[in-house]
Amino acid sequence: MKLAFVDYFILALYFLLVLGIGWLLRKKISTSGDFLTAGHSVPVWITSLAFLAANLGAQELVGMSGNGAKYGIMTAHFYWVGAVPAMIFVGLFMMPFYYGSRARSVPEYLKLRFDEKTRTLNALAFAVMTIFSSGISMYALGLLMRLVLGWSFETSVLVSAAIVLAYTFLGGLTSAIYNEVLQFFLIVVGFSPLAALAVWKAGGWSGMASRVPAVMTHSWKYMGSAHQNPMGIEVFGMVAGLGFVLSFGYWCTDFLVIQRAMAANSMSAARRTPVLAALPKMMMPFIVIVPGIAALALSKMAVGYDLPMKNGGPDYDQVLTTLMGKFYPSGMLGVGLTGLMASFMSGMAGNVTAFNTVFTYDIYQSHIRPNAPDSHYLMVGRLTTVGGVLLSVGAAYMAASYNTINDLLQLVFSFVNAPLFATFLLGMFWRRTTGHGAFFGLLSGTLAAAATHGLTLAEGKGAWIANLHEFPSPMAQNFYIAMSAWTVCFLTTIGVSMLSEPRPERELTGLVYGLTEHKHDEGVVWYKRPAPLAVLVGVLAIILNLWFA
Amino acid sequence: MLDLRLPSGLFFTLLGVLLVAMGILNPADHGALTDLNVNLYCGLAMLVFGLFLLMLARRASRKQS
Repeated sequence: MKLAFVDYFILALYFLLVLGIGWLLRKKISTSGDFLTAGHSVPVWITSLAFLAANLGAQELVGMSGNGAKYGIMTAHFYWVGAVPAMIFVGLFMMPFYYGSRARSVPEYLKLRFDEKTRTLNALAFAVMTIFSSGISMYALGLLMRLVLGWSFETSVLVSAAIVLAYTFLGGLTSAIYNEVLQFFLIVVGFSPLAALAVWKAGGWSGMASRVPAVMTHSWKYMGSAHQNPMGIEVFGMVAGLGFVLSFGYWCTDFLVIQRAMAANSMSAARRTPVLAALPKMMMPFIVIVPGIAALALSKMAVGYDLPMKNGGPDYDQVLTTLMGKFYPSGMLGVGLTGLMASFMSGMAGNVTAFNTVFTYDIYQSHIRPNAPDSHYLMVGRLTTVGGVLLSVGAAYMAASYNTINDLLQLVFSFVNAPLFATFLLGMFWRRTTGHGAFFGLLSGTLAAAATHGLTLAEGKGAWIANLHEFPSPMAQNFYIAMSAWTVCFLTTIGVSMLSEPRPERELTGLVYGLTEHKHDEGVVWYKRPAPLAVLVGVLAIILNLWFA
Repeated sequence: MLDLRLPSGLFFTLLGVLLVAMGILNPADHGALTDLNVNLYCGLAMLVFGLFLLMLARRASRKQS
């Protein structure tokens, strides 16, 4: 793909804009809270879009359009089943405890609810994971830019890291959140025309449906058994593994997204944040997945589009960029490319701003130097931002040189994340849960995930202990690993809690369901109240599921 | 605090003007798979979006003062 001067100009304009926003926000920062938690002062429309955009990395754009070409509209399960219900749940039922407890981070909530060791376990795991996911996303950016535009890996990684560092260092979390909203606008503006053009060229939905296998235009029809569909997963595995364990584990406990809602300016706004974010979230398949299906249809139409190839098979990661090259002239090409760069950068900024908060409050303040004046923690927060970006660059280079380490790390992360939701669910809704229960539940859940991986096989991966069962796809294996981790964590937490000393109920006020006063927002118009919005969002998600069933 | 609608409104207005200008100056410049003047139409949409954000920002600042 060849860029013209105007495309570079648009990219440069965007870089200036994000740096300018960081510069304008710098005066607002006077405490560590301003820098790390945005001082609980961000309007709800901004937190909602940031909640969505923090998760909408470029890897998702590129990956989900590739999945559209590979699996078809079934990929939308990652949105309509694997995201929307969990987003409604966290807003309605969990945000009262996160926001109401006055915790500054998700690990800090664990400290208030359970104990120091549970917090530290979660904080350390989260800190390491954010650095590596930031690094892996930078690595993906470097690869893609080299492949598509011929830029050097160094240039892409170092320039984007420098810009992210500049605006997060200046404006902290507020700056990261503002730029996530911009990124979201750019993605909608830059990619929805592409979706429309590709679908139109492929003859609309019916034209696409007549050219691709029937399994690709139905999301539920071929889910009866794992062998009917290319994902290799059946209804139960998908709903329980993806829709429940993985989705709730991510949307309800991952500080990267929760941090955006906790920055909101009131409890009601914090609760509405994930619910409102679910509205654009459920529309994303039309921008990212449908063009992938259109690409497959176009490749069968002899109009001059072929799926990109690599090593004799289709290279699905290039579906989105090749479509851009075929439909966009210079100008719009620059906008689309800027959207892609923006989502890489704000993915990195999201990780860095979550990392610096967890490091400063949950590791530094609680273990290294407690009771220092706030200005000291502000300085530590800023230095951690620099450190976080440098470590991410290091992780990007590590990912570039050792591909196997990369896969191994992602596997270990999935073991650590899988049991999390069981701990939070019990902690928030069962007052008898104890710190010992939570801690040993998490450990045993992670072990159970590793053991399930060691005992099962999918496409030659796993079964390093013994081969007891073979899954039709790695995705199915992943879902069942998550389910076993969740179940073991859930049962162990209950068992150990029953055996250990309960905490007095007065210490749990504001942290557990049933011991927390709920302020009802009566007298406010319905669209400013979380519950009616949740019903609306839920009904829309059901309609989409039925429409494309 | 900085109203985000102001800088983003300016950005999209500018982008819209740029793309509309390109669409008018090079109407023959289009992607391999479409005959539409993509820059012109997308530029118009961005211009409308940018102006809409600016209008909202202006209304909010008036209300405050």
